[in-house]
This record gives sequence, structure tokens and C-alpha cells, in this order.
Amino acid sequence: MMRIGFRLALAYRSNIVMTCVTLVAQVFLLRMIWTSVYGARPAAAGLTLDALLAYLTLANLQSFATHTVVSRTIHERIRSGTVFFDLARPPGYLRQMAAFQVGNTFGGLLLLAPVVPVVLLVGSITAPVNGPGYVVTLVLGYVIAVQLALLISLIGFWTMEIGAISLLYRLVSQFFAGTMVPLAFFPGFLGVLAGALPFQYLGYVPAAIYVGHITDVAGPIMVELAWIAGLWGLLALTWSRAHRRVVIQGG
Amino acid sequence: MIRAEGLTKVFRRPRTFPGPLGALRTLVTRQYVEKTAVDGVSFTIDEGEVIGYLGLNGAGKSTTIKMLTGILTPTSGTVRVGGLVPWRDRSANARNVGVVFGQRSQLWWDLPLIESLRLVGSLYDVPAARFETSLKKLRDLLGLDDFLDTPVRQLSLGQRMRGDLAAAVLYEPPLLYLDEPTVGLDVLAKDAVREFIVEVNRTGRTTVILTTHDLADVEALCKRIILIDRGKVLFDGAIDALVDQPRRLVVLLEPEPEEVRGVRRDAEGRYVFDIRGDLPGMIAAISAEHTIRDLSIEEPDLESVIKGIYSR
Repeated sequence: MMRIGFRLALAYRSNIVMTCVTLVAQVFLLRMIWTSVYGARPAAAGLTLDALLAYLTLANLQSFATHTVVSRTIHERIRSGTVFFDLARPPGYLRQMAAFQVGNTFGGLLLLAPVVPVVLLVGSITAPVNGPGYVVTLVLGYVIAVQLALLISLIGFWTMEIGAISLLYRLVSQFFAGTMVPLAFFPGFLGVLAGALPFQYLGYVPAAIYVGHITDVAGPIMVELAWIAGLWGLLALTWSRAHRRVVIQGG
Repeated sequence: MIRAEGLTKVFRRPRTFPGPLGALRTLVTRQYVEKTAVDGVSFTIDEGEVIGYLGLNGAGKSTTIKMLTGILTPTSGTVRVGGLVPWRDRSANARNVGVVFGQRSQLWWDLPLIESLRLVGSLYDVPAARFETSLKKLRDLLGLDDFLDTPVRQLSLGQRMRGDLAAAVLYEPPLLYLDEPTVGLDVLAKDAVREFIVEVNRTGRTTVILTTHDLADVEALCKRIILIDRGKVLFDGAIDALVDQPRRLVVLLEPEPEEVRGVRRDAEGRYVFDIRGDLPGMIAAISAEHTIRDLSIEEPDLESVIKGIYSR
């Protein structure tokens, strides 16, 4: 299943090209805007302009690299009824779908790799303050992203239609991941909310560790592991309920 | 191989209301409509049999197959497939069965056929060496070589169906469910599918449950059929017994007599005689009294017999 996900990512090459163009444009625009916002100010909320630009470049790169397609795939397969075949396989459904997503991410990374230098050039990058901490929190964050995507897709077993929900999810997750605006700038209530949600681990936390804005790494890692365990349980529970009411359209 | 007893599946769907506010009412009322798709179906199928599982659209055929694969849990009743309860031992049962749905494909649309076959190999833990021998055999048997590396979306329906058949038997399951495997195929492609089923059944002793609306498939492949209607078994037995009726002599007479004693007339006004014994004698006797304008002899066929059963 990993292989299928990988091959499919490569099969939709033209899609990726457009994605890369979007990514470069987005990073460029963010750089322009934030440079103008900072003006002559040396730092805001403890972030220098250099650190902020590096943060934004990274956060966007991460967001594109860890973008999950599995919800869409699951949705399509439920609607067309081909989910029947997934359910008829010996391995568990969620395991197959997770493998699909991981393969797809690898495929996407392979295609994204040549564009990385361009993005770094258009954006800005600094040497990592804590490289290993960045990698660990990012990988754990990715696990959370896949779990959340699977959880969202399972809604499709109840409603048969998840288009609007996925759109909302994408919007909310990107915003609270701090892809456009670092979480450090979120005012009062919004900051508390963002801190309570898991989306920060998909963008803000790893990138902030990279630029040295967050220095405590052990704390976030513990929280990430707790999220992974909790989501694991929630997924298992949701799946067992979804499975019980499996109805395949048509036929 | 399969023993089903009183298998029943009732679907429960939220009741829908007509009118502009109907959707809202559906959401708030929590009323359900129950539909019994499969209603107390019992049968036993032995190893190596090829069974025609027949019924009109919506008769409950696919629902039965979904219960046999363990995807749906029956509302009541039991079934054992090779000693396993499909929905309880879903994973173990899955290894024992191959499925082809003619109307849907398990192949990945945007990838070359070989990728989907590799996926099947890995999902069913087929060791590499066995995968290669199995694939080699299927390439010869189904002529896959021409399109093994072609994305599935570019395949013709016949090629796609051959790909689906290959995917279903790649891990050599002892049981095969084929749901309309010849739907929409041309005559040659149909023949290829039938020959393949015969071959798989002959060499591998694979048990086959075949669902189809093409009775020529059934006549070519099955000795026994199970006929279901509105979820219930209507007939279960050998085709030979079902079609064991006399041949018929159908004649068009001129001028048309009002009535010939003991003979029925079909929709086109022709007279239908059951042929018992001496056919030339019968024809001579008829032509002695009437002028025969046209004459044909009809073999009893499955289609007319089954139409007869449904209209009863």
C-alpha cells in the first residue's frame, strides 16, 4: 500500500508542479508582507525578522510536504464503493490507509526535493538552532497529522460526504498550525486555543524549535506522544463504530 | 466449503420525507425504514462446485456475497466458510476468498496493472517466488503481457476484467466470488472469462460462486444454481433437473383455426406442441388437418424456465 501511495504521488506529477509554484509564490508573498510589517523594528514577540522569515519558510515547506491526501482517497473510495475491496483485504483498513499516506508523502517529498533550494532562496533560512529537536518534533507531528486525517475521513462512513468537512479541517489546521502567522503572535484567547489544539505540532512547534524560539524540546515531545496515544485510542474506537455500520453504496 | 443457515440481513436507513423541509425532518425525527435484503437464506456448497447464484436486480445477491466475505454482519443466521465465521475471522477468511465485481474494479485506476497485482501480492503476504510463478501462469492464461504496464484507466473493459480476475486469484484462494464478471463484455471477451473460470476450477479445484444476468455464463459453467428472489431462496438444485422438459414444436398455421385441442398458443399466435416420441409423425398429423406455414423446434432453455419461475 505504501508503494501504491508512492507511485500515485509520482503519477500526478503535474499536480505537484502546480503545488510547487503555489508554495514558492506563497513563501515569496509572506516574505514581502512580513518584511514590510516589521519595518525597522528589530524583533517582535521575541522573534527577529531573520528568525521569523526562516520560520515562515520552514513552516510552509513543512505544511506542503506533510499535506495529507488520504482523506480524499478514502472519500472517493467510499463513494465509488471500491472501499469494498479495502475492507476485504486481510490487513486492517486503517493500517492500509496509513501506509498509503506514508508512501504518498515519500513520493511527494521526492518531487518536492528539487524545489527546496528555490523555496529557501525565495524565502530565507538560517542555520538550525536545534536540528535533532526539529526533526523529532516534526516526525511526531507528521504522525499526528496522519492520525487526524484518518479520523476526519472516517466521518465519511456516516455522512457519505466529507467535502465541506475536509475544507474546514484544512483551513482550521493550517491556521492553527501557524503557517501564515506564528502562534507567538496570536492574542490572548486565540493563543490559548492554539496552544490547546494539536495543529501546532504540524507547523509552529518544529519550526519554532528550529529557529530557537522554543528552547524546551522535551516538553513538546511528551505532549506530542500523549496526543499520538490519545488519537490512537480515539481512532480505534471510531473505526470499530464505523465498521459496525458499514454500508456500501449500491450493489 | 460453505454452509449458510437462515442468513438474514436487514438494512436500516433513516426515513426520508418529501418536500422542501423534508431533509430537516429526516434529521430530527430519527425514524427508520427497514429493508430486508436477504431473508432466511440457507444453502450448502461443496468444495470444487461452480454455483450460479442468480436473481433479479436487488434480489440480495451482492448482500449475500458481502456477508460471505465478512464485510457485512448478518442480522441473524449463521454461515461458515471453510470452517470460519467470515465476520468474526475476517482476516483469515479474506485469505481464502477472491472477489471480482464486474461493475467495480479493485485495480488502481491511474497506475499500471502490474502495480495493483503487486499490491495484492503484498497485502496477502504472497512470497516473492510464489508471486512470480503465479503471475507467470496468469500472464499466459489471461494474456496479460500486452497491457501489464499500461495504466488501468487506458485498458478496454475486457482487459480490465482480465486484470481483475488475475488480482482475485493471484494468492490462489480456494473460493472465488464472481459478481457479474462478464457484464458489458463482447462475445470473445466473455469466452475468455468463461474459459478462465473453467481452468481455475479444473486445475485448482477452486470453488466458484457466480452471480450473473447472462444465463449463457451459467449454462456454460454451472451444474447447479441457487435462485433467489426478494431475499429468499426460490430454487436450489441441478440445472438439468430444472430444464428437464420436452422439446417443443412451434408451428404457424393457415388459416388459423380457433382452437386446436390440448395445444397452447404463444404471444405471437403460434401453436406450441410438446414433442413426445415420433416427431415426423406429429408433423404429418398436423399437416393432415391444417396448412403449416412455418415451423420450428425449440429446445427448452434456462432463460425461459427461469422467466417461468419468476412469473409464478
